[in-house]
Amino acid sequence: MSGSRGVAIAGVGATAQGELPGRSANGIAVEAIELALADAGLTKHDVDGLITCRNLQAHVGIDEQIGELLGVSPRYGATLDYGTGNFSLHLAAMAIRSGLAETIVLAYGTNQRSAKADFGIAVGGGAEMAAANGVVHVAGRAALAFRRHQFQYGTTEEQLGWVSVAQREWAQRNPLAIFRKPLTIEDYLASEPFVAPLRRADLTMISDGGAAMVVTTAERARDLAKRPVNVAAMAQRTAFRADHDAESLSRPWLGKLAEELWSKSGYRPEDVGALYIQDATSVWVLQMLEWYGFAPLGQGGELLASGATRPGGSLPVNTNGGQLSEAYMWGWLHLVEAVRQLRGEAGERQVPGLEVALDVSSHDFLKGAASILTTRS
Amino acid sequence: MTYPGILPDTDDALTAPFWAAAREHRLVAQRCSRCGAYCWTPSEVCPECLAPLAEWAPLSGRATVWSLAVYRRAMHPAFEDAVPYTVAMLELPEGIRMLGMILTSTGDADRDGEVRIGDEVRADFLEADDDVTLVRWRAARAAGDDYSEAKHD
Ligand SMILES: [Zn+2]
Repeated sequence: MSGSRGVAIAGVGATAQGELPGRSANGIAVEAIELALADAGLTKHDVDGLITCRNLQAHVGIDEQIGELLGVSPRYGATLDYGTGNFSLHLAAMAIRSGLAETIVLAYGTNQRSAKADFGIAVGGGAEMAAANGVVHVAGRAALAFRRHQFQYGTTEEQLGWVSVAQREWAQRNPLAIFRKPLTIEDYLASEPFVAPLRRADLTMISDGGAAMVVTTAERARDLAKRPVNVAAMAQRTAFRADHDAESLSRPWLGKLAEELWSKSGYRPEDVGALYIQDATSVWVLQMLEWYGFAPLGQGGELLASGATRPGGSLPVNTNGGQLSEAYMWGWLHLVEAVRQLRGEAGERQVPGLEVALDVSSHDFLKGAASILTTRS
Repeated sequence: MTYPGILPDTDDALTAPFWAAAREHRLVAQRCSRCGAYCWTPSEVCPECLAPLAEWAPLSGRATVWSLAVYRRAMHPAFEDAVPYTVAMLELPEGIRMLGMILTSTGDADRDGEVRIGDEVRADFLEADDDVTLVRWRAARAAGDDYSEAKHD
């Protein structure tokens, strides 16, 4: 066992996104696994670990099911419940560092759109009490959080609109993205609110799709097909007190997560050349820009309106289009994109000279994770 | 007209006392008999000191709007006949927060301007059907609440 054993992402894969009728979630995950293995120059016989991700409202995505479908019996297998990509990456890194496995393939596949999964009912503590008050869908809590931000700091709807507009500009350069139709700030402001002050473009459309990664030791990754992307730092934090915490909607605990990430890693926000923020709603982008120190608290709106996050800007954010424009994949495609950008494979949306990317994600109001990825050794 | 929304399971052991009190137009929350903290949402144990929560205590029925949002689209099919409606995160003087629905003239607080962040609201009760009474909130000022008038002036 070696605590300092470096870990790297050696392969990534993504299936088509959008509507995949007639496909099972597990079958889609296996397709993504094949793509990620091929990207790394490996076959299923080269992996000794499998980490999968349970779907939100069905007992699918379990390692035992996907392992059987894949026809493998690796040394190590695990499933994360609502395993957004970042948490799965961290679990893989831990398993590799502990010696439980050396090369792990991790995957998420879902047919939640075709299966008509019901995401309307609030998740987390007090869901029934929330529904009795009409608070359904994450849009409600996100709108409450944003309206409070407006009240405290004077943030405008136009400033928030730049999250969706900038990400749509990136998505237009991404063939995988579902939403590629141009969206201007004028279009955004002219559109009707769904849950005021949030509009359709601030919210995610549920979609089908799969994504996978191959994670191994930094040492082994050096001998594989593609340039390794090293996992330089990881941090997590929970907020399980949920409704019992006064400021739960503003998610200030993300600031504590960021503090730990920066202090332990030695990296600073100014080292980050591209930022990936899991965006169940646009409000999460505003919150995380601030809590991770890319803008002072209350000034995230100004940063967004400055154009910094757009193509050609000084802080590219969600260069895949994010969940708002690319696909609703629980942060998995953010990691796939970060890897492709760091390798220089991102075509017309390539961020020049990129060496360090930060991926930050959250599971609802309940936990968060951050990973610094780099091609530096 | 049937209630346009999702009704709670009033037989659920954890929340039944809340709904029984609402039936009698009383707003209550659990209060820890060991440390005195109020608890919302309902829980088996006190999240502060882990004592079992058995006691329900009356609340003042007053709250301050921490934030609000207006559902102009139904984000769940059950609410299609309910929109527009206004929801809020409320701060209660008892030290807890509650999500609530605020009743205004048009249902859309942004358009009728009756409620803003920082305003005081008062608990009200809505008979949703023969078995379930829901808690709703109204602007304290609109309800002619003297205490709130004094505070605003
Ligand atoms: Zn207690």
